[in-house]
Amino acid sequence: MRLGMVIDLKRCMACYGCQMSCKAEHGTPPGVFFARVLKREEGHYPTPRMLFLPVLCNHCSDAPCVSACPTGASHYAEHGIVDIDKDMCVGCRACMMACPYNNRYFLDERRYYFGEAGPTPYEEACSDRHPEGVVMKCNFCRHRLAEGKDPACVENCAAKARTFGDLDDPESIVSRLIKERGGFTLHPEAGTGPNVYYLGP
Amino acid sequence: MNRYDQLIVDLRGDYRPQREWGVGRGVLMVVGHFLVGVAGGTWVMASIYGVTAGLAVAYVLAALGALAHLAYLGRPERALGMMRRFRTSWIARGFIGLTLFLIGGGIYLAALLLAPDDVAGPVTRTGQVIAAVGTVVIIGYMGFCYTASKAIPFWHSPLHPALYIAFAFRGGVAALLVISAVTGVASGAGLLEMWIGVTTVVALFFALEIQGAWSGGNVAARWSVRDILAGRLALLFYGGTLALGLIVPLALLLVPGAHSPAAMALVGLTSAAGDFFMKLATVRAGVYLPLVMPARRQRA
Repeated sequence: MRLGMVIDLKRCMACYGCQMSCKAEHGTPPGVFFARVLKREEGHYPTPRMLFLPVLCNHCSDAPCVSACPTGASHYAEHGIVDIDKDMCVGCRACMMACPYNNRYFLDERRYYFGEAGPTPYEEACSDRHPEGVVMKCNFCRHRLAEGKDPACVENCAAKARTFGDLDDPESIVSRLIKERGGFTLHPEAGTGPNVYYLGP
Repeated sequence: MNRYDQLIVDLRGDYRPQREWGVGRGVLMVVGHFLVGVAGGTWVMASIYGVTAGLAVAYVLAALGALAHLAYLGRPERALGMMRRFRTSWIARGFIGLTLFLIGGGIYLAALLLAPDDVAGPVTRTGQVIAAVGTVVIIGYMGFCYTASKAIPFWHSPLHPALYIAFAFRGGVAALLVISAVTGVASGAGLLEMWIGVTTVVALFFALEIQGAWSGGNVAARWSVRDILAGRLALLFYGGTLALGLIVPLALLLVPGAHSPAAMALVGLTSAAGDFFMKLATVRAGVYLPLVMPARRQRA
């Protein structure tokens, strides 16, 4: 089984629901976005258009971050998920330089959303999950998968633009979507074998 | 601008510079690479010229470089774990190489100091061989650390390792110039010729790398070149690398009959400073591969 995601750019309306639900699920500190939405305006009056690109860790089959990690903290977990063992990471940040998708974050110091007012109870509850001095990233919500749920960004996508499933199963919805709609990956030339696919707008 | 605000600005831009290596506390990593590179080169040059003081200086530089690396890490207390992934990670290989160098070099230097009449003894030879293996690794691994960074097209060049190896030798010659000026042991004339030769090789490799990045077709690599030659890093490059690291030493060498020990020491120091600024500029010039929007992909 190889878990992956398909994001339908025709359905995505850049509501940031994925970004916010990810933040709520993981309680990530300010400046850390496991899931984020890139926006860009293209063209000129009278035919400009807004382009959206939701991005997250691509959980590559041949992940350069895993190869670059000197400690083994970046590793392949079950079903091809790329995760970081926060107790092994030394914070050298080689993985951040290796990832062609810029989806890793280093927490150099504890930060809170309300600055000098200190942490909210929610931030206090989540801070143990994100120790300082290590790199962090999306892990396809492994804790939710273990409970039989989809990742938070998939579950909370209002437009149902995200589909999650087994890429090794040719009959799965994700495999069929990729085949029927011509799914593509970001930076295929990097040769990393991303497991997040996009369907064209 | 604080780190958080800078990150938000960077995330909004098309070309996001890397700010983990070479910026803020990340300067320690460049300092570490610089010191370790010079240490490797100095060990080789001191071995060729038979300058024991050079070996000692190389050892101290490597130890300081190791400390700088440790100080850079987010979790230095876990550093021993960095040996685990030596099969795939150049950082792991470098860590092992540096450890070997410090162990072997320590044994060799201790044997030289404690038993100078027994340089061919088994302990001395063992230390020498271990240090030699470590030297090869520490000179070679740094460039590969950058080349392995697929996210940064400017670094992801086959010339980068060659450039770093050449830098190590230039640093080694520079260190020996300073040491020979202080101790008066090595041949100053031979070293100067070697410095000119190695500097020519470094300049050639750098020019090829810049040309390759500019003409290679990758927009992020071109952005990096623009940053170095005419952007946010131009002062570091022109002031630190070209003026301090090349023009000043060359001017000192061109003054007829002025090859005094003090002038040679100044050549070595300015050359080494230029190397540091060159490394700092190329590390800071790293720009992440931009994520291309799908509509543009289809038009391409």
